[in-house]
Amino acid sequence: MNAPELPRSFDPGERELPNPLPRPEGEFETLKRAWKPPRGLAFITAVNNTYVGLWYVGTAFLFFILAGILALIMRAQLASPENDLVSHGLYNQLFTMHGTVMMFLFAVPAVEAASVYLLPNMQAARDLPFPRLSAYAFWAYFVGGLVFFGTIFFGLSPDGGWFMYPPLTSTKYSPADNADWWLLGIGFIEISAIAGAIEIIVGVMKTRAVGMTLDKLPVYSWAMLVFAVMIVIGFPAIILGTLLLEMERAFDWPFFIAERGGDPLLWQHLFWFFGHPEVYIIFLPATGMVSMIVPTMAQTPLVGYRLVVLALIATGFLSFGLWVHHMFATGLPKMSLSFFSAASTAVAVPSGIQVFAWIATIASGRMKLTTPSLFVIGFLFIFTLGGLTGVMVAVAPFDWQAHDSYFVVAHLHYVLIGGMVFPLFAAFYYWVPAASKRALSERLGRWVFGLMFLGVNVTFLPMHVTGLIGMPRRVYTYPVGMGWDALNLVSTVGAFMIAAGVAVFLFDLARNFRFTSEDNAGNVWNASTLEWLPNGNYNTRSIPSITSRDPLWDQPNLSKDVEEGRYYLPGTVTGGREALVTSPFDARPQYILQVPGPGWQPVLAAFFTAAFFLLLTVKLVFPSVICGVLAVGCVIWWLWETDPGPVRPPADIGGGIVLPVYATGPVNHSWWAMIVLMVVSGMVFTCLLFSYLFLWLVNPGAWPPQGVRIPDWIWPSLAALLYCACGALIAVASRQLRGSDRRSPRSVPVLVGVALPLVCGASALDLWTQWESGLSPSAHAYGAAVYAITSLQVFFVLTSLTMGAYTIARWLAGRLDSVRRTTFDNTMLFWYYTIGQGLVGLLMVHGFPRLTGGL
Amino acid sequence: MGGSRTGQVLLMLAGLIAWAVQFTAIYGVTSTLCGRGWADATLLGMEVVPMTILSATFVTLAATAVALVWSFRSYRQAKRQPVAIVDDFISHAAVLVNGLSIVVILWHGIPAFILPACA
Repeated sequence: MNAPELPRSFDPGERELPNPLPRPEGEFETLKRAWKPPRGLAFITAVNNTYVGLWYVGTAFLFFILAGILALIMRAQLASPENDLVSHGLYNQLFTMHGTVMMFLFAVPAVEAASVYLLPNMQAARDLPFPRLSAYAFWAYFVGGLVFFGTIFFGLSPDGGWFMYPPLTSTKYSPADNADWWLLGIGFIEISAIAGAIEIIVGVMKTRAVGMTLDKLPVYSWAMLVFAVMIVIGFPAIILGTLLLEMERAFDWPFFIAERGGDPLLWQHLFWFFGHPEVYIIFLPATGMVSMIVPTMAQTPLVGYRLVVLALIATGFLSFGLWVHHMFATGLPKMSLSFFSAASTAVAVPSGIQVFAWIATIASGRMKLTTPSLFVIGFLFIFTLGGLTGVMVAVAPFDWQAHDSYFVVAHLHYVLIGGMVFPLFAAFYYWVPAASKRALSERLGRWVFGLMFLGVNVTFLPMHVTGLIGMPRRVYTYPVGMGWDALNLVSTVGAFMIAAGVAVFLFDLARNFRFTSEDNAGNVWNASTLEWLPNGNYNTRSIPSITSRDPLWDQPNLSKDVEEGRYYLPGTVTGGREALVTSPFDARPQYILQVPGPGWQPVLAAFFTAAFFLLLTVKLVFPSVICGVLAVGCVIWWLWETDPGPVRPPADIGGGIVLPVYATGPVNHSWWAMIVLMVVSGMVFTCLLFSYLFLWLVNPGAWPPQGVRIPDWIWPSLAALLYCACGALIAVASRQLRGSDRRSPRSVPVLVGVALPLVCGASALDLWTQWESGLSPSAHAYGAAVYAITSLQVFFVLTSLTMGAYTIARWLAGRLDSVRRTTFDNTMLFWYYTIGQGLVGLLMVHGFPRLTGGL
Repeated sequence: MGGSRTGQVLLMLAGLIAWAVQFTAIYGVTSTLCGRGWADATLLGMEVVPMTILSATFVTLAATAVALVWSFRSYRQAKRQPVAIVDDFISHAAVLVNGLSIVVILWHGIPAFILPACA
């Protein structure tokens, strides 16, 4: 059933308020009851975005402090020459963990966490569209992150640097489990980040206030949308990279071992294809925050809104053309380097546009010098300096001089602290009144800012010089007389100043932060956006329609009318949790989404997922497999309660708008999520194909290597035929399941059931063909690449198999029919993707070596 | 402003997509030819590497220019007719994005005139 189109005359700005007063008795109480989080131990099963968001932010900040403590130990070690506070082995673990935890456990989760809290409020949505997915992402990150950090106390932490270059991290040079902790631990935390990104994309596009068209979308939402798309495109590269390196370490598949046709540079390409966009992945949400804070503090609309949106989109694109600028010293041809140099300088243009837009906004209003303002000004100063040195290292000849020196350490800290940490602290001071009974202290805030601003500059400004006069990064000590002593001592003093600032912040937090979802401090800044509406666990009492980008400034009675329930969906029509799904461009109401409430499933699924990866790290394979099976079981349990179907007829949400309580097809939120998941899968596969081609490039005359026979065409052709037949069966099943009469024909499970062995057969046939030809995955990179493509396909086929069996089970339980068919649609989409990937894989593995004729 | 929403989004992103195509083509071809020692390969009497860069730059530049003209027309049309503000916003964003993309694509084509192919 598709959602009905609204009348063409629909214009929220011109209508009377949708719902009259007084509101029916008990309406508000029912709404409150539906959104109330559980009490007692079950409190941890809460999925409200405010609770999960707060836990998420808190955990990310905990990791910031922990990684900061590691930095202080390192600075103490470097305060004087030939110091022996820590050994070189521990120092290696310290700098690896500091970088890894800051980047993977603090920076990305922190901005994702803030958006879990802020986005629904800012868009006046009741919640994000998949609250249990948010909870799953958080708990997986929480459990996995803490265990990962705990390795530092047992000498088990990774020690190969935060970018883990092989061959240093290969089995030959890092035989212990330390590197595996990084590869498996970080790999699955990336999966948690992707889960969050899917949530954000669908949330921004599908759950907004009525009338919040794209041109009225808060800049923060734009920033988070670009951020999430970048995660979807960029993170699969590192997931694949960690997978390949772990397969090399565990099974001796030589992707990065030069003696057997591998190439360590492949890792660098995969890592930095993720790693450079990662900088912007962290930076863009921070700019989104700044674009919300600056207009409020200047009490004037943001200057150049459209240019800022352009800058966000352009930055998102261009940042994927920069990755090789981390590899300028690897001997690539100058022409190739010049492309990345060009992109590195070009990306400064959109960043500059944003900076000028903020300055113009400050100039056009009267900026109040509050603590958030101070942090924004600090951000502009520090980030601009980092950006300038960024342009310097974007020029290859300069980079060759500064590479791996403390100059680079200074540059990256100016960019990351300026571009992310300062905006985040501005955001803390700015948004705490929306989450707490009391605002944070302005007086203490100025101390926090002062200490941190001075601390950052005292620490990192001298490091430019330390680097330029020759001090390499990642050395645990240095001899007397190199001219580095005083500079290092100053940097150490600065680091402790930053720590003092953070300590004052913690004190302020302990003194003033009192979490509430019912009676917060209110709109203390006279801000213009919807997160400052009166709210509760249900977010806003009714869902407003807005007519401008600054609704609280331009619609004077909005807060009161929303709170009285005069806008859309002031109660609950199904008795449970609901959100209003809107169209992606025009924010027209499309249907009422029945939002799942609290449950143990996401918590347990996250725990078992974390356990699966962590146990695998320490080679406890059997318990790990059990945990993996339990994790899948919990996910199935969780999904079983979703896809509720149209539990009641279409309902009036106010203003004469009658909406269905269920919808399928492209209008459905889970359809969107599945499309995004397919893009993620497609990117993993694309990166794998890139790896295959890269390895071909570095193996002239050995693709395939001598003595390796390419299987006859007949077998891949047969496998392709099976894939196509399988796709046809699914298409027929989909056709059989059409109609508005709630039919559930018996042929559907039969067709799906027949398709299951076909898809398995196709994949197994290809695997068997390679094995039977005598191809070894560990003899040469060619075999490793071929088996990697085949193995990835096996994984997708097994997932399709599980989804197919689940779909059949839904039919058997009477939970699948021609109207209630979201489960089938999701399976169908994934199935088509798997078939497409299988066909491309066959073409690559069997066609490419024939095409190139062993060149 | 006519056209589907998907079409509008594609038009808005056309220049950046063209840049991505140019970037992939020039980096892919340069890496492959240099990596395989085929730096001196010629086609129709011209070295393949600079020819690829110039061709890819020209084609993507032309495509972006078409997108820019098209989006500019849509923008002017949106200004003249009573259309939804979101249409005006998208067409304006398309003009800005495609305009910026022209500069970026040109910027990436310049090395072909300055640097040797595989040194």
